[in-house]
Amino acid sequence: MLEMRGIVKSYGPVRANRGIDMDVAPGSITGLLGENGSGKSTLMKVLFGVVRPDAGTIRVKGRALSGHGPAEAMAAGLGMIHQHFTLVEAMSVTENVMLGLPKTGARLDPVGVAAQIRTQSAAYGLDVDPAAIVADLPHGQRQRVEILKAILRGADVLILDEPTSNLSPPEVEGLLSIMARLREQGRAIVFISHKLDEVLAICDDIVVLRDGAVSGRRKAAGATRADLARMMVGRDVSAPLTRAVVTPGEIVLRVSGLGFVVDGARRLSDVGFTMRAGEILAIAGIDGNGQNELVACLAGITAPSEGGIELAGQDMSGASVTQRIQVGLAYVPVDRGSTSLISAMSVADNLVLRDIEQKPYSRLGWLDRRAIAARAALLCQRFAIKTASPSAPARTLSGGNQQKIVLAREIGRSPKVLIAHQPVWGLDPGATRSVIDEILALRAAGGAILYLSSSLEEVLMLGDRIAVMQGGRLSQPVARAQADITRIGLLMAGADGMAAGRAV
Amino acid sequence: MTPDETKTMTTALPRAAILAWPAIASRLLRSTAMRTVGAVLLALLLTALLIAIAGKSPIAAYGAMLRGAFGSLDRIAFGLNKSTPYILAGLGVAICFRAKVINIGAEGQIALGGVGATTVALAGLALPSALVVPFALAAGALFGAVWAGVAAFVRLRSGVHEVLCTLLLNFVGVLIVSEVLHGRLGEEGAGFPQSPLLARSLWLPKAWPGTDLHLGIVLAVVATVLVHLLFWRTTFGMRLRIMGASQAAAAYVGISQARATMAVMLLAGALAGLAGGIEVLGVHYRLIEGFSTGFGFNAVAVALIASLNPIAVLPAGLFLGFLEAGALAMQREVGIPSSLVFVIQGLTMLLVLCALGLRGQPGKV
Repeated sequence: MLEMRGIVKSYGPVRANRGIDMDVAPGSITGLLGENGSGKSTLMKVLFGVVRPDAGTIRVKGRALSGHGPAEAMAAGLGMIHQHFTLVEAMSVTENVMLGLPKTGARLDPVGVAAQIRTQSAAYGLDVDPAAIVADLPHGQRQRVEILKAILRGADVLILDEPTSNLSPPEVEGLLSIMARLREQGRAIVFISHKLDEVLAICDDIVVLRDGAVSGRRKAAGATRADLARMMVGRDVSAPLTRAVVTPGEIVLRVSGLGFVVDGARRLSDVGFTMRAGEILAIAGIDGNGQNELVACLAGITAPSEGGIELAGQDMSGASVTQRIQVGLAYVPVDRGSTSLISAMSVADNLVLRDIEQKPYSRLGWLDRRAIAARAALLCQRFAIKTASPSAPARTLSGGNQQKIVLAREIGRSPKVLIAHQPVWGLDPGATRSVIDEILALRAAGGAILYLSSSLEEVLMLGDRIAVMQGGRLSQPVARAQADITRIGLLMAGADGMAAGRAV
Repeated sequence: MTPDETKTMTTALPRAAILAWPAIASRLLRSTAMRTVGAVLLALLLTALLIAIAGKSPIAAYGAMLRGAFGSLDRIAFGLNKSTPYILAGLGVAICFRAKVINIGAEGQIALGGVGATTVALAGLALPSALVVPFALAAGALFGAVWAGVAAFVRLRSGVHEVLCTLLLNFVGVLIVSEVLHGRLGEEGAGFPQSPLLARSLWLPKAWPGTDLHLGIVLAVVATVLVHLLFWRTTFGMRLRIMGASQAAAAYVGISQARATMAVMLLAGALAGLAGGIEVLGVHYRLIEGFSTGFGFNAVAVALIASLNPIAVLPAGLFLGFLEAGALAMQREVGIPSSLVFVIQGLTMLLVLCALGLRGQPGKV
């Protein structure tokens, strides 16, 4: 159904695609794997006509596409579900779907479209209410709206770009079964993901990219995780984690009765926990259940409505961001794009972004460029940050190396407590591994780490103790050995709301 | 080394240089400065077309313009004097814009600066004039800063967007000039709203004796260098750059956006106020109604043509100053309305912004 032959695309000296062939048969799911920067995005941009390839041919349902733009790609039957949704939040599902439909004349037909949505929704088990306002829908539902948009536009080839990144385990299950139904209907699906288990579970064929070329093709049946990881990274990353035996030390962070209310809506209620030196408290939870508010309150970015925060024995409830940094609180926010990193600033400036008021980086308000450069050189070396030069803008680095900058800055200060909010989000296995290794190294050195993630796998792998956040409440943390995976999954989904206050 | 090897070496080097040349050339052409110059040339070319359509010779027009701007020492002095307020006010606008504080209130700040400087100059202080002049300029800067501070205060206190506060305060600022000229600072029986002529000893000293060139341009150059250093080499400048890049990042770093907004507005106001004081003490030697008209817009134009880079405000301000100076001559000699300057200015701004936008990636922060 989809044939790509010999796709070549260079950006200046960077050869993003070096002759890639890919076929997707009708009624099949092809997994497209690759680290960040392996050429997946470029290949998809070429397919959608966002960028012109230097060479190569594309055929969709036997018809050649060349010199096309996104509109022609869609008309030819391609549909893309982006990682970041393209929905108008203030509009209803029906209106959003209508926006994506090809020209239907001047008169709009919301009733007809709503009926179509209901039919298709039932056919694929999407369970989408056409009258719902997108802003009120959870993440998983919005994704289904995107899928509906593509289907109603007549897309036979669906490309899902990391569709499971923000979903809870039950939502992932739901998505995979929707994909299976789409396959039954004879549609072709390209599934782009970092998550090897999901790829192995749902795909028929798997194509792995590395450095802009296909590094391997496998039938999903018979392929193994280790096999795929090796093809992606080019080295073995499945070596077991080295987890030092650390006896938890004194209490370094004590949070009690933390609550946060904004515009009359309660986002956090009575969140309390303690953390000891040398332990990782992992908080599982689907995005939007109060994690953002919790970390913002802890980091001093927003003031909580009630409750107390004690850091290393000092009351920090009303302390500024800077004071908290000085007492030893490090923070890796979830949003690398515009919060923890400034992409137009140099790597060196980013490495001291939260330390510029400190000696030796500045004196009497004057930046000490030499001290900053020395710090940058040190951190680049210690954290193996790959950059052309410390003065290069941070945007020139790969996602993994950008996250290393953030970690290097925050961990390089030898903090007492590190808040890491989804620190491996969107990173490939190689980069994920190095981030995890750094966090474990900090733990071994006696740091306490608060690790928040929507990935059950990460939480179970890293947490010494595990808790679940749901609806602004935090469950009682339990030791990893006692954690019950099914129960955590249920708590995350809010299926057991009454028990949220009780132990996992 | 064999002769063969030496031969390859000698030929290889220039060949490498020749091969590298297109890359170097294209890099140069793609630099911000070159794009800006290209946009300016294109704007001049398009304006030439308009002149030709109007039935005049573009060559004669531009010739008159060049002579008008650079034809003699006096002409150059005139152009430099014209550039001075654009540079000073443009610097303030540039750093405000860089911090995503959209201050378009330079006009009112210049107006208040003029009032401040005139008030001190006419106060009859029992001080040597060598001290009164800096005092008067400082008062200009202070008044400008206060005026910008009012806008920032309204912005921070009630959340009214700074575009609105600064814009509306421009009208108030200009009216305050009229108000004081019809009252306390006005010259009796002048028939025109203006203050009495300042004593000669209070005029801004000349930078080049024998011409009208006053010390303002020196202050403008010094201010450019200081603002450049402030922006790139101090923690304050870094805070502004972070704030301009992302509000979320600024909060993460722990920057008080209210304090930074107030600070950058005060600084911009002081620079604009200083420009107003210089206009009074160096050009008109008195406060006159409407002396600041159009300066606020030109300050924004200069900041944008300089792509908000403080050091580039200097050439951008000079460009605009000399363009206006030349246009006056063009009007006299060829009979082309000097309002054509606005056409050139507008086209240049548009084309510069297009050229910078085409680069497709944000500038350095």
